[in-house]
Amino acid sequence: MKPVLVIGGGIAGIQASLDLADRGTKVHLVERTPSIGGVMAQLDKTFPTMDCSICILAPKMIECFRHPNITIHTQSEVVGLEGGVGDFKVKVLEHPRSVDAKKCTGCGLCSEKCPVKRPSDFQAGLGQRKAIYLAFPQAVPLIATIDRDACLWFTKGVCKTCEKVCPAKAVDYEQKENVVELNVSSVIAATGFEQYNPKGIGEYGYGRYKNVLTALEFERLVCASGPTGGVLNRPSDGKVSHNIAFIQCVGSRTQTTGYPYCSASCCMYATKEAVLIKEHEPSSHVTIFYMDLRTFGKGFQGFVDRAQNHWGVKYVRGRPGEIREDPTMKDLTILYENTDVGKVEKMTVDLVVLCTAAMPHRDNRKLGGVLGVKLDEFGFFEDKDMLTAPIETSKPGVYVCGSCHGPRDIPESVAEASATAAKAAEDAARAEVKQ
Amino acid sequence: MRVAFFPGCTAQADQIGYEASVRAVMPRLGVELAEMEGAACCGYPPYSSVSEAAWFYSSARDMAIAEAMGLPLFTLCNGCHLSFTETKHALEKDAALKAKINAKLASEGLHYEGKAELLHVFELLHDGVGKERIAAAVTKPLTGFKFGAHPGCHSIRPSKLGRPDDSENPRKLDDLINWTGAQAVEYPGKIDCCGSSLASASGKTVMEIAGEKLKTIKGLALDGLVTTCPFCFKVYDNRQRAIATTIGDRTLEVPVFYYTQLLGLAMGLRQEQLGIELNQSPVDPVLARIGGA
Repeated sequence: MKPVLVIGGGIAGIQASLDLADRGTKVHLVERTPSIGGVMAQLDKTFPTMDCSICILAPKMIECFRHPNITIHTQSEVVGLEGGVGDFKVKVLEHPRSVDAKKCTGCGLCSEKCPVKRPSDFQAGLGQRKAIYLAFPQAVPLIATIDRDACLWFTKGVCKTCEKVCPAKAVDYEQKENVVELNVSSVIAATGFEQYNPKGIGEYGYGRYKNVLTALEFERLVCASGPTGGVLNRPSDGKVSHNIAFIQCVGSRTQTTGYPYCSASCCMYATKEAVLIKEHEPSSHVTIFYMDLRTFGKGFQGFVDRAQNHWGVKYVRGRPGEIREDPTMKDLTILYENTDVGKVEKMTVDLVVLCTAAMPHRDNRKLGGVLGVKLDEFGFFEDKDMLTAPIETSKPGVYVCGSCHGPRDIPESVAEASATAAKAAEDAARAEVKQ
Repeated sequence: MRVAFFPGCTAQADQIGYEASVRAVMPRLGVELAEMEGAACCGYPPYSSVSEAAWFYSSARDMAIAEAMGLPLFTLCNGCHLSFTETKHALEKDAALKAKINAKLASEGLHYEGKAELLHVFELLHDGVGKERIAAAVTKPLTGFKFGAHPGCHSIRPSKLGRPDDSENPRKLDDLINWTGAQAVEYPGKIDCCGSSLASASGKTVMEIAGEKLKTIKGLALDGLVTTCPFCFKVYDNRQRAIATTIGDRTLEVPVFYYTQLLGLAMGLRQEQLGIELNQSPVDPVLARIGGA
């Protein structure tokens, strides 16, 4: 039976791959970054159960890695697709890691000794990594990679420290990119989303005020494996933050700067992060500024009720108009209309978290062109039919799951992933019968 | 660089110090101010409540004069700059109105095409003259002074019309202040309105709004507030005592300067050349510290 191509190694791609592999279909899982895991690997906890995110995800990542039916291609992208359902010819471009995957043991000695520091993507820019690095402690595959734009050997022709210290002799500066040609029966796109950069919304001062963070940055700050070990040291002075505000719908549900749609998960993850703050320090003050609370999922409303009544998280209905920074203390004052009482009010806090829009990944347009599928006006993959074929695309044999075709939370992404796996398996079986 | 000079009614009738400082400073920076023969009011947008066409006509007429001179139109006042910008946009969209206005202008031998470039003080000094020439002209750097910049609403909003600086994080006036050797300090409420547009409706509200900003400047122990807008200046400088009375804070003593006055001082000009004796806020301590002014 022909294999299935899964593009994107986040929770949706992982779930689709595992479902297919478990039913005996071979899978090629293509991931752009050095490790599978996606955004879920960066999260501290999940809503509404407050489970540790990586504790749920890591076993699935390992299972993908060990599964005899799954081949993982990391640091790779799909650059060509020809043919039709049942018989696609795919070209996958594997970028060089500059480390021999067969030899590297993931000991991390190379990055310990590497002299070059760069902002860490995994820590959402709050922490640093080296030029040779493991994406994160639970990375799959646990193989180091060299960032050639940062590495001294590639930029200046000096150093080679990693090669000298590597006990497995795995460093390979000569590694070239490689094109793999695959013949697959169907394709599942699970490329996920990107976070909207709120710099464009000048009134909130992101990028100007050090103590204004995005929710993903905060997720790393509050996480035990984050840059501060989970202590809420705010960026300006390291002060432990006890008074924190969340602003919802930053770049979403707007007709001006950003996107008009709802980003689907922010009401819930803000509530989750608020509860995390309270769990760390119950005397903290946490306020969530919202327009509407969208708590439609299973157990969601109960979660918000608990945040409010048990934990004392304060919800204020109103969209803040401006944030001002105290020039000396760097505390932040939020100006807003409390629409529950119809009054213009002010609130001064230690830290502001912006819950920004989930937007289509910047590579979606390129990938859409390669796959030959339509995108909607925002750059999400377009569904064949929103009601009756919500995980199919304009091209037969190409399926979509997760937030690459619109903002989704984890449970919905997982459900869709299983659905696409079933569809893809159908195609694989049909192709087998034809042969 | 030669520009058609449009001081605007407020500067000519009331804010004489502003015009004086501009006339003193610009030629020394290589900017030649060409007088606009027959120029009148910029149109003043509130007139649109009586007749929108009259606003556009008045505004287009001034721009037509600059067009005939073949020079960019340089305005001192934030309000005039916005009035011209709005007219330009309106006439771009409405060909019939443009034709109607041109028919009127024909009686004076004028014609409006919309080709004259508009120059705000920020655009002329920051983007045109630039850091190097300003720094070269500064002979008495204002080292050690800290000022708050007040760009004023009309220089930054409405953002979609294309304004001289960013609507949420304007930095050009700060740069200009820094180029005199002084230090521009970011402060909360920098982009707040001075309140002057409310003067006809509620004078007390104006005082309260303006008082907030003056209190912030005072609280941060800055050496003063710097603006380029005659309306804002009228509130912060001319009305400062009234503000202090209204908000019941007699300690409010904030020196207020037009940017061109500050630049003139840094260029070694005397205060009489810059019309500073007309400033009503307590500027003397600053002048004393600069010395020899």
